Amino acid sequence: MNKSGNKKTVKRFNLGFRISHWVNAAAFFVLYISALPMYTEFFDWLYPVFGGPAGARLVHRIAAVAFMLPLPIMIIFDWKGFSNWAKNIFSWKKHDLQFFPQFMREFFGMKAKVPKQDFFNAGEKVNSWLMIVTTIMLISSGLIMWFPQYFSYGIIMWAYPIHNIGLGLAAAVAIGHIYMSLVTAKPSMRGIIKGDVSEEYAKDHHGRWYDELQAAETKKKKHA
Amino acid sequence: MAETIKLVDVTKCDGCRACMVSCKNWNDLPSEIEDFHGSYQSHEKITANTWNVLTFNEQERKDGGLDWLFRHSSCLHCTEAACEKACPESAISHTEFGSVVVDYDTCVGCGYCVQACAFDAINLATYVDKNGKEFRKAQKCTQCTDRLEEGLQPACATACHTGAIVYGDKDELLSSAEERLAQIKERYPNANIYNPQGIRGTNTVYILADKPTTYGLPENPKVALSQIVWKDYAQPIGKMMLGATTMAVIGSFIATSLNKKNDSSEGDQSHE
Repeated sequence: MNKSGNKKTVKRFNLGFRISHWVNAAAFFVLYISALPMYTEFFDWLYPVFGGPAGARLVHRIAAVAFMLPLPIMIIFDWKGFSNWAKNIFSWKKHDLQFFPQFMREFFGMKAKVPKQDFFNAGEKVNSWLMIVTTIMLISSGLIMWFPQYFSYGIIMWAYPIHNIGLGLAAAVAIGHIYMSLVTAKPSMRGIIKGDVSEEYAKDHHGRWYDELQAAETKKKKHA
Repeated sequence: MAETIKLVDVTKCDGCRACMVSCKNWNDLPSEIEDFHGSYQSHEKITANTWNVLTFNEQERKDGGLDWLFRHSSCLHCTEAACEKACPESAISHTEFGSVVVDYDTCVGCGYCVQACAFDAINLATYVDKNGKEFRKAQKCTQCTDRLEEGLQPACATACHTGAIVYGDKDELLSSAEERLAQIKERYPNANIYNPQGIRGTNTVYILADKPTTYGLPENPKVALSQIVWKDYAQPIGKMMLGATTMAVIGSFIATSLNKKNDSSEGDQSHE
């Protein structure tokens, strides 16, 4: 496919955005693994891996701090990428809504005609929103569970179900997100690792963004 | 087996604290020396190593006199126990005696039960293993389940010399409690039997001389809605959702590879 290496590429994610993404991913994974033995007995064998429940608790808290860093990292080191993301996920147009039925066809390997998408396609926008909501749920309830001495009984007792629901949603979102990046939209991996994607991928998967890039380039050429 | 309960008649208590000593003794719990708190009470509250504390509550009577209210406070062994519901490891359970006990092998010391208990009756004890590493376990009154299994009474009931703490048949003790309540109503108009029905009763029932709140007990404890949402809905649905997502991903993988296979075989034919 794109393995010839001399394909033209376009910049997609700056370094700050990518670091933010991977800090988030790593922290989420460690949090998930260190909590899993407590969530279901099936994974009790993970306790010894962390040196007992006390070790798992410590790891979970260290990862919890890392889990709070991606947003500040993104804001400080890639304000442009952050504001582009923020603008994108608030923009919902006809082509976004048309995305979903076509996506379902594509997801199960059928022929699909997906309308031109923004920098973030409608699926990525939904993914972003679910991630934002679940992250807020997890961090706020997690802090209450970590420091219960500052909260009242009723609030502490609600933190547990919220942490639990946040986990269920976030894990489902993460599984879908990872699967799609590994299987159905593999070239996008280069975007979040190296920062650029092939022009072909940009055109196929993010047509409206590609058009914007083309328009900007012709404008630049005209001025030159 | 007939149901049994522990009945604590605080109006018979003379504050000798033999229950505290016998509890420490039988359960082999280390002593905890606390500073003077400004009253006759020895310890501020129940801890992981002090499973029962005799509270001394000084109340002014309407006629200006003093009521010195004593209460043998320890785990109430709720029928709908918040600690049991909160435990993510299912380490807390009811015994055949109606007592609520912690399985120390399963307990991971997360402390969810400590937060859930409306009576502050369960706490985390910190231990050190032979490698010098610290670990925690939830600890509380077991109602001397180990003694009950041998046909004995709880240590506190055996030690109580005024008969303020008795252990025995549930129906018998509850009816004797009603009789006793009628006797003490004149002296203590607010007297009541504390066996909260919002949690379907407790296995340690109190005859209190004053309102539950005077003793720091919740008036009408209930199973928290948050616990129902958490354990009866969020947890099972969450596990189901993880399963469903995984199935969708596997389904997608199979369907995609099948469709691709068909496409490529068609393609082969056309090239021939």
